[in-house]
Amino acid sequence: MKKVCLSILIIGIFILSLGFLNRLLSPKYQDSLVEGHMIKEYYGEEMNHEVIFLGDCEVYANFSPLVMYEEEGITSFVRGTSQQLIWQSLGILKETLKYETPRIVVFNVNALRYDKPVSEAYNRLTLDNMKWSREKLEIIKDSMLEEESLLDYILPILRYHSRFSKLTKEDFKYLFSEKNITFNGFLINKNIKPVSSLPTKKTLPNYNFSDNVLEYLNKITSLCEENNIKLILIKAPSLYPYWYQEYDNQIKKYAYQNNLDYYNFQGLATEIGIDYQTDTYDGGLHLNLYGATKLSKYFAHILKEKYNLTDYRVNEEINSLYQAKIIEYNKAIEE
Amino acid sequence: MNILLLIFSILIYASLGPTNLIYILFSILTTYYGALHLKKKNKKRKLIFRMVIILNIILLVFFKFITYNNFFNLFKANSILVPLGVSYYTFQVLAYFIDVYQGKIKPEKNFFNYLLFVFYIPYLFIGPINRYEDLKKTLFKKRKLTLNNLFNGLLRICFGLFKKYVIASRIALVITSITTANLEGAYVLLATILYSFQLYADFSGGIDIVLGFSSILGITLQENFKQPYLAINMQDFWHRWHISLSTWFRDYVYIPLGGNRVSKIRQKLNIIITFIVSGLWHGINYFFWGLFHGLIVAFEPRKKNARFLRIAFNFLLVSLLWSFFIYPSSFTALKMVLSIFYQFNYGDLAKNILNLGLDLGNIIVLIISLISLIGIDLKYEKIKNWLYNKNNLTKLTYICFIILIILVFGVYGLGFNTSDFIYSKF
Repeated sequence: MKKVCLSILIIGIFILSLGFLNRLLSPKYQDSLVEGHMIKEYYGEEMNHEVIFLGDCEVYANFSPLVMYEEEGITSFVRGTSQQLIWQSLGILKETLKYETPRIVVFNVNALRYDKPVSEAYNRLTLDNMKWSREKLEIIKDSMLEEESLLDYILPILRYHSRFSKLTKEDFKYLFSEKNITFNGFLINKNIKPVSSLPTKKTLPNYNFSDNVLEYLNKITSLCEENNIKLILIKAPSLYPYWYQEYDNQIKKYAYQNNLDYYNFQGLATEIGIDYQTDTYDGGLHLNLYGATKLSKYFAHILKEKYNLTDYRVNEEINSLYQAKIIEYNKAIEE
Repeated sequence: MNILLLIFSILIYASLGPTNLIYILFSILTTYYGALHLKKKNKKRKLIFRMVIILNIILLVFFKFITYNNFFNLFKANSILVPLGVSYYTFQVLAYFIDVYQGKIKPEKNFFNYLLFVFYIPYLFIGPINRYEDLKKTLFKKRKLTLNNLFNGLLRICFGLFKKYVIASRIALVITSITTANLEGAYVLLATILYSFQLYADFSGGIDIVLGFSSILGITLQENFKQPYLAINMQDFWHRWHISLSTWFRDYVYIPLGGNRVSKIRQKLNIIITFIVSGLWHGINYFFWGLFHGLIVAFEPRKKNARFLRIAFNFLLVSLLWSFFIYPSSFTALKMVLSIFYQFNYGDLAKNILNLGLDLGNIIVLIISLISLIGIDLKYEKIKNWLYNKNNLTKLTYICFIILIILVFGVYGLGFNTSDFIYSKF
């Protein structure tokens, strides 16, 4: 009996050590590559949301839920991640539905141009900090490149062990504690880099979205229908990568056929008031804080007017939670 | 247990290429039935003996040739795959067959036992080349799985994995950096010395895994290494390196050629021939490697004074000859080794040491690992006995500790191609 207890103790210490090393060697996504922390921040939310955003950097850089709240009292969260692929959006939507059922899901259609996994690094930014669930497993299987292994996701030390010689202060500082780096999924960037020249528009051999990505879009549409969620398709006002007219026509047609609303903000930039000389931090790829504020206000008005969302500013409990966030948000802007 | 072991072995072997089965079954059937017909009264005894030997050697030579220049372009590189472990199992069945012919052992009548003797999967990847007489003592007997065997086996497997993934795979990064950039002079010296450790850690690590796995099942296999780099001369080295192969060549090539029972000149010639054949067993490209080893063993002095200096000199010599394993052709290997003697770029090497595939942290890990490897080798038997005599809980603690070390400091995973053992290609 004593031997059995000691064996269990030894194995227990081994598992704890493994857990500790796993944590130590995995990237912390706190001061560098912060995009890898975004997916995790949703789990700490204390309230439900009426609007959930899904998509790639075009959502987390361009829509600020706290501005939308201040403007129209809309509760929302951006569940966007770097280069979020459409099957990842579907998985994240399924996961979200385990926690809450929003009234509206906003999906940025830029991901439809990607039919295959792009890179392991992007997969990692989306998946490393996602909670374990059947959805996560499905996303991993669908997202893995040929050279990747499922085991590396299950036990990250297998992937990150070589960081032992590259550990930085960040790895020790955030070993046991973490900070949020977004505000309801919005990543603040105050830098300004005006649009000077845009990459040349390449001619593509084929402009049709693949059956594969359309199938995932159908799944998202069906899932929203089943849960009585209004699905809104959007295209953020990024100037590149180039959003071809052929792409846009297909989305318009899809939206029409499925009775969905589609907003392409590229054509509305003037109306929104976006100035690409001051409102972008990387020459037109993403909006900066100032551009995102304009877009968020504009979209908040649409959501409020057209979809009759609740104004939570009159709800004392929720308002106090949001006001606390807004104080932190304003502090971060001023810093 | 043996039925399961055989099924498991065959399934794994077949999964790596079903056509492999045809060749291995050919060797098994010819030697099994051939051996049964080697009775002394049989008039066709000699004929059967020669036929079986020649057929198996032809098959082995054929596969060795197709890996060389696609057999003069008669075969496309991928049209015929070399069966896994062909070098190992051919030698194993030939040893058995010759021993039966010479009357040293009785033929195995139980076909199932013989199948297991050849098919036993762990050794097929990397050796050692087992002798029937030794293996049957534990392989065909009823065995019990014991906790003691389990922990001893796991310890050995962990040690093998440590050698492979912490040492060998780490050194491989440096060797790749040096060879892909065609660096010469001091870099070649560094590469050859490091390669000595890489090959040793890789090969003996693989053997540790095979022996450890066998130990868990209660099967005792022959040790294949005995601190080879502590050899005082080349002959001594071959008594310590890849022992199962060198004893095979001694028993089935050198002795039949006349061994020591001939004139001095003939004896030296026999040594050289044996080493050339040994080189060719590795592949056509290794002819000169075998020749040089043969010449050195044949003509080196047999003095035993100045032991440390002799060990160091022999290590350097062995290292330089490993260049035939590092570079793609004998000519390149010779050219690179010669560059050590006319390009004195040691200052350049010192400046670039951190640009050879390993950062400072990795270099420190490598140095500590190599010191540990040498330290363990110096007192191998003592350490092994000390560890094996510990209670199972202590062994479990060590196993857990080594696993953590390998997980953190091993070189493996995405971006690294370190899964194959060097000697599995022979």
